[in-house]
Amino acid sequence: MFLQVVVLAAAFAVSPQQSGPAKTTNPAMVEFEDRLKDYLKLRKKAEAAAPPMNKKKDDPQSIVAHERALSSAIRAWRMNAAEGDIFTPAVQKVLVAAIARELSPKRGTRGRTAREMILGEGNPRHPESKSRIVLAVNAKYPDHAPLSTVPPSVLLKLPQLPEGLEYRFVGRHLILFDLKANLIVDIVRNAIR
Amino acid sequence: MQKHSASLIAIILVTALIGHGQTAKPPIKTDSLKFAVIGDNGTGSKEEYQIAEQMVRARQQYPFAFVLMLGDNLYGSDSPKEFVKKFEKPYKGLLDLGIKFYAALGNHDDPARQISYEKFNMGGKKYYTFKPRNGVRFFALDSNYMDRKQLEWLETELKNSGSEWKIVYFHHPIYSSGEKHGSNVELRSTLEPVLVKYGVDVVLAGHEHFYERIKPQKGIHYFILGSSGKLRRGNIGTTGLTAKGFDQDNAFMLADIEGDRMSFQVMTRSGKTVDAGNITRAEKTRQVAAPR
Repeated sequence: MFLQVVVLAAAFAVSPQQSGPAKTTNPAMVEFEDRLKDYLKLRKKAEAAAPPMNKKKDDPQSIVAHERALSSAIRAWRMNAAEGDIFTPAVQKVLVAAIARELSPKRGTRGRTAREMILGEGNPRHPESKSRIVLAVNAKYPDHAPLSTVPPSVLLKLPQLPEGLEYRFVGRHLILFDLKANLIVDIVRNAIR
Repeated sequence: MQKHSASLIAIILVTALIGHGQTAKPPIKTDSLKFAVIGDNGTGSKEEYQIAEQMVRARQQYPFAFVLMLGDNLYGSDSPKEFVKKFEKPYKGLLDLGIKFYAALGNHDDPARQISYEKFNMGGKKYYTFKPRNGVRFFALDSNYMDRKQLEWLETELKNSGSEWKIVYFHHPIYSSGEKHGSNVELRSTLEPVLVKYGVDVVLAGHEHFYERIKPQKGIHYFILGSSGKLRRGNIGTTGLTAKGFDQDNAFMLADIEGDRMSFQVMTRSGKTVDAGNITRAEKTRQVAAPR
């Protein structure tokens, strides 16, 4: 099983110098990409239904109103969404293994710094920026809560996400975050072990 | 060199006069590119307002055209009223003059809201580039989320940039003497090879709540300016990296590019100059003149 995970993760381990993300042939990861595409289709529909932002975007009210309408529409469309719908168990194993490798003490200072970047100030569960977050699919990411920083070494080893979706951390949990809707789309619990 | 030194002395003298509330003549050079830099400013605190007021005063003598923001533009909530309290009100004096702000994202910023906010001039992007005039290009990066897509974008943009000056700015410093955070070696190992390869001249970062000018590293000049709202007093440690550090008061920077020379000057909220100098841009021999 360990070998399988290493092979799966290696399919996405692309150096920044390479011209583009590797195409995966692994069925679990192909399915992951399909589920992400499905989510984006749904978001596109939700976006079309949301009130447009003012043409002159100097009014934060209109930006926030658009975001809220978008998240409400997505929530309604994904009423029955559950943890693991996108981050399926097979995908979770790949992500957790890739993260573990990058944060490993064996990587010395880089590993330590990467861990500190994720869990340090900026992580909403860090004592200095502690914020109440409902960790659930479809939950709104609170206005006042900071977004964790994700180190490049980790991002370069995780499958590339489409525009507008990001990996972020809440404490040790990895979330799939919809930037435009300010919404938690899926969760990998205890992704940092 | 003599001409440049004279210009710098003029700027410092002018600032000293501003600090004492006296009138002064503006610097002689009117055709150089002048800009200001702030970082970790979005607190809504008295200190942020005082820095902003000092910037308005400085601009009367030193007419900078735009302001770079190094992240943590809005601490806490990014609700509409916070945009007003922590940005529109403190910088009203500059916004009313038509001064543009170009923001980079910090770890306390809400990316979606800030990239859409017209007054941050991010064009809906978390990372972007702009060229205020021929020969100078700025690159704003999102160091919170340096993924493959962004790195490839940066490589392409740097490669395609025919500009003489390449100035890159982002939130997390890759060289720092901060006791709180220190150098971000993780980010450095990914980013520095690209910056060096494509001949970046200057890197500006925030995150550490003080001012630090780092001794040039691999031909690049690094500045940290994360004290335009926040301040972490006495936080600069001994690392051997520091060319000049200041952690006793809030600060902002004024900069001026003309030809191969960039002058910089760092001022406190009371108008005191805490660092100033020149960077001379040359293909092989880049150096910072000692502050006066």
